[in-house]
Amino acid sequence: MNFAIETVNLNVYYGQNHVIKGVDLKIPNRGVFALMGPSGCGKSTMLRTFNRLIELNEGARVDGEVRLFGENIYSGDVDPIEVRKRVGMVFQYPNPFPHLTIYDNVAIGLKLNGLVKSKEELDERVEWALKKAALWDEVKDRLNDYPGNLSGGQRQRLVIARALAMKPEVLLMDEPTANIDPVGTAKIEELLLELKEDYTIVLVTHSPAQAARVADHVAFLYLGELIEVGPARKVFENPEHELTEKYVTGALG
Amino acid sequence: MLTSNRKTKEKVFFIGIGALTILIFIPLFHIIATVLIKGFPVIAERGTKFLTGTLSEGGIGPAIAGTFILTFLSALLGLPVAFLVGVYAYEYPKSTLGQWTKTLLQIMIEFPTILVGVFVMQVVAVPMGTYSALAGALALAIILTPYVAVYTHEALREIPSTYREAGFSLGLTRAKVVFRILAPMAKRGILTGILIGMAKVAGETAPLLFTAGGLYESYPSSVTKPVGAVPLLIYQLVQSPNPVDHATAWGASLVLLAIFLGIFIPIRLSLKEVRL
Amino acid sequence: MRKVESFKVATYPAVIIVFLLFAGMLFVYFTNALPALHRYGLDLYLENVWRAAEEPSEEVYGIAAAIWGSIYTSIIAILIALPLSVAYSVFVVDYAPKRLKNAFIILSDIMAGLPTIIYGIWGAFFLVPFLRDWIMKPLYDHLSFIPLFSYPPVGGYSYLSAGVLLAIMVTPFASAIIREAYNMVPFTYREAIYSLGATRYEATKILLGYIKPAIISGTILAFGRAVGETVAVSLVIGNTFNLTTALFAPGYTVSSLIANQFGNAFIYEYMTSTLFAAGLILFVIGLAVNVVGLKMLKRWERDVNI
Repeated sequence: MNFAIETVNLNVYYGQNHVIKGVDLKIPNRGVFALMGPSGCGKSTMLRTFNRLIELNEGARVDGEVRLFGENIYSGDVDPIEVRKRVGMVFQYPNPFPHLTIYDNVAIGLKLNGLVKSKEELDERVEWALKKAALWDEVKDRLNDYPGNLSGGQRQRLVIARALAMKPEVLLMDEPTANIDPVGTAKIEELLLELKEDYTIVLVTHSPAQAARVADHVAFLYLGELIEVGPARKVFENPEHELTEKYVTGALG
Repeated sequence: MLTSNRKTKEKVFFIGIGALTILIFIPLFHIIATVLIKGFPVIAERGTKFLTGTLSEGGIGPAIAGTFILTFLSALLGLPVAFLVGVYAYEYPKSTLGQWTKTLLQIMIEFPTILVGVFVMQVVAVPMGTYSALAGALALAIILTPYVAVYTHEALREIPSTYREAGFSLGLTRAKVVFRILAPMAKRGILTGILIGMAKVAGETAPLLFTAGGLYESYPSSVTKPVGAVPLLIYQLVQSPNPVDHATAWGASLVLLAIFLGIFIPIRLSLKEVRL
Repeated sequence: MRKVESFKVATYPAVIIVFLLFAGMLFVYFTNALPALHRYGLDLYLENVWRAAEEPSEEVYGIAAAIWGSIYTSIIAILIALPLSVAYSVFVVDYAPKRLKNAFIILSDIMAGLPTIIYGIWGAFFLVPFLRDWIMKPLYDHLSFIPLFSYPPVGGYSYLSAGVLLAIMVTPFASAIIREAYNMVPFTYREAIYSLGATRYEATKILLGYIKPAIISGTILAFGRAVGETVAVSLVIGNTFNLTTALFAPGYTVSSLIANQFGNAFIYEYMTSTLFAAGLILFVIGLAVNVVGLKMLKRWERDVNI
């Protein structure tokens, strides 16, 4: 039972398209788990099954099980809303809400879900989340500004703070550095290494180099199938599968 | 030889479509000029009495008041429904009901407005036994609703889906994501739709013919009693044989034009700036 | 089993209201039209007769002239509006510099939104005499042997006046649809055509062929607008039952008939019901035209996006 997320014969279909094909995956508790693969391999789709965000797609159908700390989140009596409160998410495009202040961006999940009792508690939690996201020092004097003036990397850390404020058990990250400059990317990777002490982070990336830098475990996905999974070091240094070897050496997409 | 022939053709083509394009707008300028030339002296001559006085005093005060009452009352009745329908169509674009809703809204926008007026007369004015501001406003609300709903829908659709995902990923319910996050983000577009819808209904005549009734010798006092409106008054005055009535109609047209352009132009000019 | 989403609780009532309104309208028109339909049968739509009488047994109504008028004036409007809209779309998309382009689009939007009564007053006091003196009289004086021009233009209130005024009013609608469609033509198509050495005129011809479905649906929707327009038309058409193709003859349209007669129809036993039957046919025409037009436009937009 030391798995944060476990999938059992997971299949996803978009209409007629079979995009995830019978994947069995075990993601251990704590640490960074990287889902890597060329674009279009289904890794973002798979990530969205972990918090049932996939259901926003009216055409998508999920088959099989996803277990969050042992509990199948696709069983009939589970409310996706409750799942999402436990699983935070960070997106490819840094998407703090442009019409909300920096403070409100972090506070909004707590406020709208009614998770804090007082203004003081909210203040505390916002500060805590911003510190956790290594953004506090940069924004503490302008909490009431709008995120429009932040850099791409800062925005992404703001989104991480927004997710952390909910005190999630798992943090999903969908190529969080894809639209960020190299300096911002380095900061976020550094942040991941700190956060993994307390959280289970599932990181989707198309860059084997990034996976090698930050991940403890990696899974390689190709055309909707799980090709290989294991400790990062082993997969990179001694891949079992020819496709994996091609991918990590850059010979594939 | 061939190329010069082609070049001539090209020139003729350019001049032709340019001339036709300009031709489209000649009536607009002529209309605005005519309304100004014929309406301005009337207002200038009668002064503020024109804007505040009753019809027998040579004024259209009650009609202006009626237009404002009808417009705001119709907004009050129509906006909540319109907003919710637009939100629904946005949220369920692929469901059968969602598709039907969108089609219905489009049809309602294109629908003959006189039919709405007669319908409301039959279901409101006839049972009440009188024309009323309420009946007029209801007819206008039915016309307003699809405009605002479509604008709401469009404004929401312009928000990149990543914000929607972000909202849901925080464990928020659909209602909270849509009403507390996305709708405020689309505020400007929605507001634009509301104003355009109101500008539209402020100028409507046909739906008021058998619903509002008309009231030009005193100011409206109750929503369950007949009320006048500037476009309705113009329609009646144009049909009068009396030249004094025609003068009043031109003055009233200038007022209506000013109301319309006053709302419409600022919105239309600011539209480009709507950005996320 | 599953709890009902608060989102649906909030939005469903509004959606239901809108659908009920629409169904209610159809119902009201249908039930109120029944007495007249029952009494006159299809003759109500096929005959041209308007005999109001205090004695119900002597009342006879047939609105063929008004139906004809609605269609005839709308066709005139379309024939004028279509070439203008196409020319406008090409000019604005291909030729006009950016600022001018914006100005044209804004002007067009103003024309589309302008209160129709303003078109009406301008039509009644300027357009009608203008057309009478400068178009109808010369044509009648020299070409009255042609049936179209055979009616003496006395007042100027006529099918032609209504058609021209409607053309001015619906051009911005047709223009907006056609311009948008023309603008949506993928850039690679333009590139491809120009790379073959086509002049702009030749390229335009090909591209217009490409957006033909959009042009047709724009035309259909403009036709729908024209059919439904009421007050502006009723001020310039002359409000007379006249089943003729003569352009200078006064006439009626269904909507102007309703606008004109409804006020005192309650005096007569069958007139109100007749006018509801008129409304019903307008309802049906409006619905058919819009459904076809919108469907075509949607299909085309989908095809382009692929």
